[in-house]
Order: sequence, then C-alpha cells, then structure tokens
Amino acid sequence: MRGSVLQSAGTELNRREWMRFSWATLVGAATFPWLESHAAGTTTPGQKKACILLWMNGGPSQMDTFDLKPGHENGGPFKEIDTSVPGIKISEHLPKLASVAEHLAIIRSMSTKEGDHGRATYLMRNGYLPQPPVRYPTLGALVAKELGNPLADLPSFVSISPYRNLNPAAYSPGFLGSQFAPLLVGEARPGADEQDERDYGLKVPDLLAPHQIAAGTADARLKILGSLNGGFMSDHPGAPAVGYKTAYDSAVRLMRSAAGKAFDLDDEPDTVRDAYGRNRFGQGCLLARRLVERGVPFVEVTSGGAGGLGWDTHADNFNTIKTLSGTLDPAWSSLINELKQRGLLDSTLIVWMGEFGRTPKINNGTGRDHYPNAWSTVLAGGGIRSGQVIGKTSADGTKVETRPVSVADLLATVFRSLGVDPTKQNVSNVGRPIRLADPAAKPIEELVG
Amino acid sequence: MNVRRVTWERFALAARAGLFFVLSGSCLSIVSAARIVCAQESAVASSAAGQSPASAGQESRPLDSAQLTSYIDAKLAEAWSRAKVEPAPVSGDAEYLRRAHLDLVGKIPTVAELQSFMSDTRADKRRKVVDDLLARGAHAQHFANTWRTLALAGAPDNVDVSGVTFQFDTWLRLRFAVNMAYDRLATEMLTAPLPEARRANPQPMRSSLPSPAAFFQANEFKREQIAAATSRLFLGLQLQCAQCHDHPFSHWTRKEFWSLAAFFDDPPGAMKRPEPGPADSKAIRIPETQLTVEPEFIGGHAPDWASGATKRELLARWITQTDNPYFARTAVNRMWEHFLGRGFVHPVDDFDPTNPPSHPELLDEMARQFALHHFDFNYLIRAITQTRAYQASSRASSAHDDDLVHFARMPLRRMTSDQLFASIVQATGFREERRTRERQPGALPDLASAAAEFRGRFADQTVARTEAETSILQALTLMNGKLVSNATDLENSETLAAVADAPFLSNAQRIEALFLATLSRNPSEQESKELGEYVDSGGAASDGRKALADVFWALLNSAEFALNH
Repeated sequence: MRGSVLQSAGTELNRREWMRFSWATLVGAATFPWLESHAAGTTTPGQKKACILLWMNGGPSQMDTFDLKPGHENGGPFKEIDTSVPGIKISEHLPKLASVAEHLAIIRSMSTKEGDHGRATYLMRNGYLPQPPVRYPTLGALVAKELGNPLADLPSFVSISPYRNLNPAAYSPGFLGSQFAPLLVGEARPGADEQDERDYGLKVPDLLAPHQIAAGTADARLKILGSLNGGFMSDHPGAPAVGYKTAYDSAVRLMRSAAGKAFDLDDEPDTVRDAYGRNRFGQGCLLARRLVERGVPFVEVTSGGAGGLGWDTHADNFNTIKTLSGTLDPAWSSLINELKQRGLLDSTLIVWMGEFGRTPKINNGTGRDHYPNAWSTVLAGGGIRSGQVIGKTSADGTKVETRPVSVADLLATVFRSLGVDPTKQNVSNVGRPIRLADPAAKPIEELVG
Repeated sequence: MNVRRVTWERFALAARAGLFFVLSGSCLSIVSAARIVCAQESAVASSAAGQSPASAGQESRPLDSAQLTSYIDAKLAEAWSRAKVEPAPVSGDAEYLRRAHLDLVGKIPTVAELQSFMSDTRADKRRKVVDDLLARGAHAQHFANTWRTLALAGAPDNVDVSGVTFQFDTWLRLRFAVNMAYDRLATEMLTAPLPEARRANPQPMRSSLPSPAAFFQANEFKREQIAAATSRLFLGLQLQCAQCHDHPFSHWTRKEFWSLAAFFDDPPGAMKRPEPGPADSKAIRIPETQLTVEPEFIGGHAPDWASGATKRELLARWITQTDNPYFARTAVNRMWEHFLGRGFVHPVDDFDPTNPPSHPELLDEMARQFALHHFDFNYLIRAITQTRAYQASSRASSAHDDDLVHFARMPLRRMTSDQLFASIVQATGFREERRTRERQPGALPDLASAAAEFRGRFADQTVARTEAETSILQALTLMNGKLVSNATDLENSETLAAVADAPFLSNAQRIEALFLATLSRNPSEQESKELGEYVDSGGAASDGRKALADVFWALLNSAEFALNH
C-alpha cells in the first residue's frame, strides 16, 4: 500500500489515499511492522550492497601509512611491517590492519590535480571540480539514490562526525535534493570538548520530543498534524508537499521505530566498544557497522582528531600520524572483523581516503604539506579482489610510476563494486544529464573487472 | 574575422544538430561553445541590423504597470487558449495576502495586517497593499536575501565569505529600500572597490561598512570565477565550462571566456600572477597555455579604452547598456521566477538556444518595458503581482505539471530558510536574546543560537523552490527542535500564552486566533469542530491550555504553514 502511494507521489494524491497513508504512518505506528524490516536486513546478508567511507579529513600522509619509503630521506622514522599478505607492507603503527590485509586493496598510485582543501574535498567527495552553478551531489547521496529504500525506517545516507567547514557543498546532495541529504550525527563543532559528550555526540539531533512532552501528547499532536495535512494536500498537489510529507514520514518512522535503536551504542558489549576504541572515530565505526547491519546503504565516518583537521600535518607530522593511526587501526580492523563475522564484508565496501596526500619531502617543521600528485587510497571488502596493491610510486615517493588512478577511476570502481553502473546519468539542476562518475573513468579492472 | 565567423557557424551547426545532447554530461564545454556562439551571433546580428534584440520588432511605447499587467494577462490567456489549458480560479483574499507577503516581505502577514486587508472593501486593494509595502521599503530585506543568494550561488560557503555576507546583505538592503535602478546596482557591484587581499592584510573583513565585496570574495578574487559568476548572474549565460581545455573544439570558446575574464584583476595586495607583455599591457595568459588574450566583450567587441574608464567600468557599461540582449531579459526572468516559481527561461540562468523561453514574445516585451522604465524593479513588481497568473489559486484536484509551464496555476513553493524562520518568528512572537558579541559589527553569528541552528539545518536549499526537498533532519528540527519547542511551550511563547490566557475568548475563538497567526485563514468548519472537541476535552494531557499548545504545534508543523501556496 505504501509503495503504491509513493509511486503516485508527485502525480496524484487523492484524499482517500492520503488519509490511508497518513493514518497508517503518522498515527498507527502499531499497525506497522517496524521490526520486520530490521529482521529482513539481517537475515539476508550478502544481498544488499553497502558502502562505508572512512574520510581522513585534512589529507592523510601516504608515506607514513600505506606507502612507506624506509631508507629514503623522504621516508621519515616509521618502519614497515609485514602483513597477512606476503610482500605487502604497511606502517608499523597499523598492526591490526596488517593482520587483515587480505581484505585490503591498497591503491598507491592516486594522482589528482587539486591541492586546495576546499576544492580537493569537493573533487574527491563529489567526483568533479566545483563548477558553479552545477551542484554536484556528494558520493553518499549518489549511492543513497541508487541503493536506498525510501520506505526504510533508517535514512539511506548517514554522515558520522562530519567536519563540513572545508566545503559544505562536499556534504550536500546537490541537485539530487534534500531527500538524499545525509543524516548528520555528531557533527564536529570547533571548540567542543568531545569527552564531555556522552557517546561523543553520536546521536540524531532532535530525534526525541522535549522531555516535558509525554508520549500521549506526542501521539495526539501527530494525529492533529495528519488531519491538517490531509486536508491541505488533497487539494494542493505538487512536489514540495509530497517532499515535505515524505520527510515527515521518515522522521516519524525514525522517532517511532526500533530503527532509532541503531544509535544506542550502549547495547553493545563493553568488549566490542573497547575493541573499536573509546573515541569519536572508533565509536563512529561501530555505529557504521550497526547502521549497515540494518540496511543503510551509505555511511561515512570522519576521522579528524581534535580540531577536525588532524590529518593536515604541516607540522609535527610523525607524532600526529602515530596518534591518529592509534585510533584508525583498532577501529578499521574491528569493522572488517565484525562485518566478516556477520557475513557482511563481501557486500560492504569500505573506502579509506582523504582529499589528497602529503608531500614526500619533509618540511622544516617536521611536517608534510599538501600533495595530490602521488598518494594512496584503500578499498576493503565489498567483494573486490583484495589482498593486492595497485600501482607504484617512485623511490622518493614524488611520482606515480605505474598504473595512475584518477578520482573518476576510483569512484567508478566504487560504483562498480556496489553493483551500480558508473555511466548512469542524473539530470542536474541546470537541466543537463551528468554521469555518476566522469565519463573518462575506467574502473580498476584488477579489483572489479 | 572571417575565420572566426566560419568557426561560429561550425558551432552553430553543431548546436542545431543537437550534437551536445549526445555529448552532454561528458563534454559541457561543447554546450558552452554553442552558447557562446549564439550569444555572439545574436549580438552580431543585432548590431548588424542596427537595433538590439531588446528594442527589436515594432516600436514599443512605454506601458505603465497596469498596462503591462494587462499585456501579460492577454499574452498568457492566448497561450492558455492555444494549449487548451483552463487557468485555476483567482485566489481568495487571504490566500493572496499571504502569498504577497511571503514573496515581498519574506514572511507571513501578521493577524492585524490580515484583518485590515480582509475588511478593506476597495476594489483595488491588492494593488494598494503591494504599493504600500513597496513604498515602505518592507521588501528590502527579503530581496536582499534573495539577491545575496543569487549572487553567491554555488560559491564556496566558507568562513571567509560568511564574514562578508553581512556587509553584502546591508549593501543590498539599502539599495532595494530606495529602489535603486538595476543598471546602477549592477554597475556599483561590478565596479566596487575591493578590499586588500587576505594575505596582505589578515583581518580585512571585519568591517561594518556596506559593501558588495562578498561577490568577489565568494569567487576567491579569481578572475575566471568572477567572470563566470558575472555572466551567469547578469546575463543568464553559463560560460563557466569554457574554461575547460580538454576538447579540441573548445579552443575558441576558451579565448572568448578568458577575454571576458581579462576585465578582472587580482585584488590589491595579492600576489600578482605573472602576465605576458609589458606592465601596462592588459593582456593575460590563459592558464596552462601560451595563448594571451586582451579584454573583449562577448561578441568580440573591443572596449573603448580612449574613454579613460577602468576595465571593470567598461565591462559594467557594456553589460548594463539598454541594447545588451541579455541584461534586461535575465532580470525580468528572475523576477518572474521569484513570484511565479518558474522562469520563462527555466532554469533561470540558462539562456541558451537549446533552452528557449516558454513565452518569448512576452519575455521580450517585459524586458523592453523594464529597460524603458530605467530598470525600475518596483515597476516590474507592481505589474507582476497584479497579473491573473500571480493571482491564480494553487488549489487543484490533481497535479498537471502542464499548468505550471503555462502559469495557469500557482505552484507550491518551498520557503527559503529565511522565509520559514521569519514566518515562525512572526507566528509565535519568538524573541531571542542576542549575545553582546553578535551585536558588534561584522561579528560572526552565534552558532549555538536557535536561529543559527535552524538556519544551519535549512540552509542547504540548492534546487528550484518548486521541487521536493525536505530532509529528515529538517522535519525533526521543526517537530522537536528548540525553536518550535519554545514557541509551543506555554511558559515561553508570546502568541500561545496570550491566546490561551485571554479571558474573553472561547476555545473556538482561541483556535481561530492560532489559525490566523499561522495559516492566515480561519479554520474550516470541520477543523473547527474536530479541534474544538479536542481542546474542550483537554486533549492528551487533560488540560485545555496544553491542548491549545498541541494545536499550535501541529499548525506550525503543517505543510500548509511551511509552503508558499
């Protein structure tokens, strides 16, 4: 019933349909099988594809994580360690990740052209350079549109502890519209003391009515609202009203259903919470697992450390990367292990990236600066042919020597692994069709061919 | 010249063959190529004919605003009859007043304004109310909000810009308040003195002086971005893609684009880009090429350097001259969209031969009249707000999207975050303590305030207002967030407390007062009955005052409140 109403949305919504719909959703929560949809999501693992983006805000140093150059003057003090895959070596500060390297595909030959934080963030997350007035959607919105179920209790795109200041448009659904906007939880606020916030603020804002509003009152209010809206919408057709109602229905489902429970990290045993790391990023990754388990197709977790721009290591690079690796390693490896235990790893692609890499040459402040010419990203799970390294940089790390990979290539690979055709088009706000990934893109055949 | 002419024809042919549809998405530069060609062709054609498209055709006599209204009505009626479209009935007075206030003042009318309008018996009260609002400059803030958004559209919304939008806002507001002619407004904006670049002066932007510098700041003071934004804003042309360098055909268009960009310099104090030629040369180099270009208008005309005017002055003069084929049309089209939810050319900043206007003759005549009236915005507003189309009801039993293309029915429109916030404030009497810090000139807004929290969640409105776009977070904010929670709390809400505690009102009258304050109408008989029973019974909390709060909450959350209709 609900499906048919939504399909007719925007064309015709007669009064009777509306009343049926609104009463069922806004009022009669009990008539609705909230728990069933959750159960369906967990009993059919491997069916539905999902993507988790681990976003390293500020631009992570490839030379100190996945593409070390020990012995070279650019290399720095970190040592390489062996991983579970013979021949593949990564930083000594990522030991747990090294033990699950068979699930990783390390791309050491990223080559992009933008070294400005704001523009590069947009380029990596939206797939195109900013080109006003075209409002390119962010990756999560594109995936949400392709893989999301508009009737699900949880939204199709959740962004955990984002730091949007570098470029808010890089977190925007752009021309796809607000229905594909990320649900932001635990948005990093400059100056906030994260330890003060329970669960690091990883909660949906305004999910609950103010405490003085009793449950009976909340129900009564929604009933009045349903009745008012029914009258208005029966003789005011049009997309804005339908969009308004869709958002309210989703919000009420989130408030009312068991799905909202996804955000209660207290449900997890202490051992699990500890394994991910008791910090914003670690608990964010745990939340991402809980959301993907419940059928959310796109979740992103930002790692920015204190201040949001932790990976922007212009100074004191090595101590900072060591600390950030200390939160990245347990969180990411736990995510892989837990998804695997649940049979979800093959259907869940994990993408690790930031807006660019960092200069191979170490600057005078023991830091590294912005470097888009040759850097690394990592894919994991998602049924790709993992356990391999793509591309190679020169001995000093300054150049890509083999197999350069562009932003478009990377994103096309992501779409392909999610079972989405990267050449599919959306109509943009300027009325022109735009492909999911730039048409010049070539998916990395070694991984998804 | 001959060689170039041949090149244009090649592009024009490609355009007519629909080539760019095949390539679109992948190769925006082709589209731009076609666009520039057509811009150029029409400019050339018109100058060849000795008259510009803005004054082509039969001699136009000036029409006053009422005559322009009649002209628009006649043209649309012809189109309705041709398309066999039945226009929606004329809206009721309350419906009209709410819409006019939202479109002009940016918020719903007060109950007093509504009652005074309803009791006004003059036949021309719809004209009078608009005249009155314009005379008082009541529309200045809303139009400043609207044009600020247009001028900064798509630009990176970073901290640098948010510091200067305040100055821009004030600058625009002052100009709309006195109805400055649009050509002058555009000229002042394009020729604004620019602040020192940030690098040279780390704190240049904390000023309270009104200034349009945000337009340049938002475009990072980069000539290519400023040129693209200028052509989009004032000419409705999307030239930005001609920056591209990945297609062999785009070579020429890049030259054209960069010739326009060459009118803009790096800001004072910035690191100068190395330029070719002697220091006094106006030539710039196209990045990543050996090509250099001189400042030149779209259409290849050289500026009159002998006049002694600066580059930006010359550009502003060319853009705003009455025979520029795009300046007046773009403004008229934007103004029509502002009131009707859709431009004759749609999207509004995509004038292009492949995207022709729905009512070309009407657009041309309105543009001619706008120019004849010295680019008087209020003249246009007076004419548009009295048209049959603007007065059409938004009611319909089912949606025919055709109605909207023909302007036969008022579409539903989402409010901007500013409109919604101001309307909630209007309806609830909400007042927020402003922290001292915020009152200082140029200070950044307090991000923890209810207003900032609200704007933050609603700001991201990036598509046409007639399209669906409401996020879950927005719904949650309206249902459970600080602003509406305070407004529907008997302790905190001015409107609600006043209504609930007025001893001389019956419950039915209280409900009516809440409807007037929010939906600008009386409750229907059925609403009155159902809600009256609810409040009389005390509602969920067995408390009549709290039951009124429940009604108020539902009204503020209703689609009818949140949408402009």
